[in-house]
Amino acid sequence: MAAETARQFEALERQAQTLMAVFTGAGYEAVAPAIIQPADVFLDVVGEELRARTYVFTDPDGAELCLRPDLTVPTCLLHLARHGQADVVARYCYNGPAFRFQPRGIDAAHPNEFRQAGIELFAEADRERGETEVMALILEALRRAGLREFSVRIGDLGLFQALIDALDLPERGRQRLRAQFWRHDAFRAELKRLSTPAAQATGAIDKALAARIAGMGRKQATLVVSEQLAANGIELIGSRSLEEITEGLLAAVADTRAEPVAAATIGLIETYLQIAGPARLARDRIEALMRQHQVNVGPALARYGRRLELFAAAGIEVDALAFSAEFGRNLEYYTGLVFEVVTPALGSFSPIAGGGRYDRLLAAVGAGAEVPAVGSAIHTERLLSAVNGGGR
Amino acid sequence: MTEKLILAVPSKGRLMEQAAAALAAAGLDVRKTGSERGYRGEIEGMNGVEVAFVSSAEIVRLLKDGEVHLGIAGEDLVREQIIDADARVEMVRPLGFGFADVVVAVPQCWLDIAAMTDLREMAPLFHRRHHRRLRVATKYMNLTRAFFREKGVGDYRIVESLGATEGTPAAGTADLIVDITTTGRTLRANGLKVLADGVILKSQANLIASRGAHWSDGARRAREVIVARFSPTEPPSNPPP
Repeated sequence: MAAETARQFEALERQAQTLMAVFTGAGYEAVAPAIIQPADVFLDVVGEELRARTYVFTDPDGAELCLRPDLTVPTCLLHLARHGQADVVARYCYNGPAFRFQPRGIDAAHPNEFRQAGIELFAEADRERGETEVMALILEALRRAGLREFSVRIGDLGLFQALIDALDLPERGRQRLRAQFWRHDAFRAELKRLSTPAAQATGAIDKALAARIAGMGRKQATLVVSEQLAANGIELIGSRSLEEITEGLLAAVADTRAEPVAAATIGLIETYLQIAGPARLARDRIEALMRQHQVNVGPALARYGRRLELFAAAGIEVDALAFSAEFGRNLEYYTGLVFEVVTPALGSFSPIAGGGRYDRLLAAVGAGAEVPAVGSAIHTERLLSAVNGGGR
Repeated sequence: MTEKLILAVPSKGRLMEQAAAALAAAGLDVRKTGSERGYRGEIEGMNGVEVAFVSSAEIVRLLKDGEVHLGIAGEDLVREQIIDADARVEMVRPLGFGFADVVVAVPQCWLDIAAMTDLREMAPLFHRRHHRRLRVATKYMNLTRAFFREKGVGDYRIVESLGATEGTPAAGTADLIVDITTTGRTLRANGLKVLADGVILKSQANLIASRGAHWSDGARRAREVIVARFSPTEPPSNPPP
């Protein structure tokens, strides 16, 4: 921060020492990944929304670089550099600056340069145990830094995935619901389309071609598509293959013939997403809802329950946890538990800490397969402000 | 701070010629002052006006920061370079030249993709299949982001392109593009097609006023005179080629 006073700098340093002592004391290795990161890997992973808030630049040698917008991806890259498959259990902690452009302007709770202190736990096979360890440690660190009044929100993206997997849906609709979960409007549009009788789903696609390939197998349809391209003098350019394009066409045709999804199924998804309240109560409500609709979400609900028991055993006040089925829908790389620590002083739009499970991230940056990963970071300026009774 | 109104006009290229013709057609006789290579000018008979000859991108920046009062620039550049454009500047008059549509164009061979909804559905499937996001080559990063957000397309990333954007899908450095087009001929020649609802902006050159500039009484009066010359009912015609 430009206007950071020497006194605040000192206070942040002291606070960081406290936080890092808690982390290292629990067996987390302190690491300091580079502030300047290669833009390419980073931006492919975080998506365009966060990219719009990332400071990207070109160095005199022409390399595209960025100032890290968080420390999770750099820590993943560091872990991957040490272990090519990333499948070795590791615990890392860090404290350092991150940078984000603030489109609505910079203020004390939304600086463009801030310091994150956090932890990442990789390759812990017992997922609920790993999540408990990370969340308990972050709460412990916050307390040791002097935070008294706070509340914790949790969500579970794994439960949503399990619900979508368990429902009676056409496969393509299922895939689209999963993919659009992060974008509310698109998700709602998809639900609406699934529930209405198919008719205009081909949209602007060539109707004659659609009619020709309807009912064909993939091979035969590919041949027709290939002929169609040749007849119109269209060259096949770019990265999508003829098979891929044909699959897209066949899927679009199938959409026009699909039976509408039962209203009860759509209703179940909507009802589930509205569930919010104390974590234990929410579990009971989800269980009752699934029983009522005779849907089996498999081990996902049992995991949710086990997680709460492990939380309690680790001294986390489970009765104070607030669950929301919607929570996490704006955080695209999370895959399971998500949590956030908020204080009355700063409000719910400026969480002091946040984290969760992100099992796909290591694979996305180059590990051969998915690796269990859970982590959390503390926004240290906000923490300091909250501890000092700041009303900002 | 000078009391004069500063009018910024393009200093090079086709836009310079067209802007000069438009000003002349509006009866505004712009003359360079000082040396022939100078970047300052005046308008015959209007002592309260100073003309600055600068590049198009620079005109937009000067308008945004309130360093000039009026300027001539394409709407595409204004909306791209100023995130909160309507709060910073006012489009006073469309000028009838510099026409360009900012469009989303994909390979013609994508027979399964005809509209933005198709793209929205395909993008995440592409991501899973190719282990990377769809790449969109463009120099219009902000316009692209805003439009894709509005259309619900999320699984993509932008590859900044500062020239020959239309060639990037065939070259394999991008999968689709967002670029300007007037006739669509260049896009077709590169094996691309515009999506049915893929027109982001129909742009043309505009007379633009800065909201952040210091508007003295003199500058206000000069603005009224200049704007009145660009009658909305009689747009200046295109200059002969």
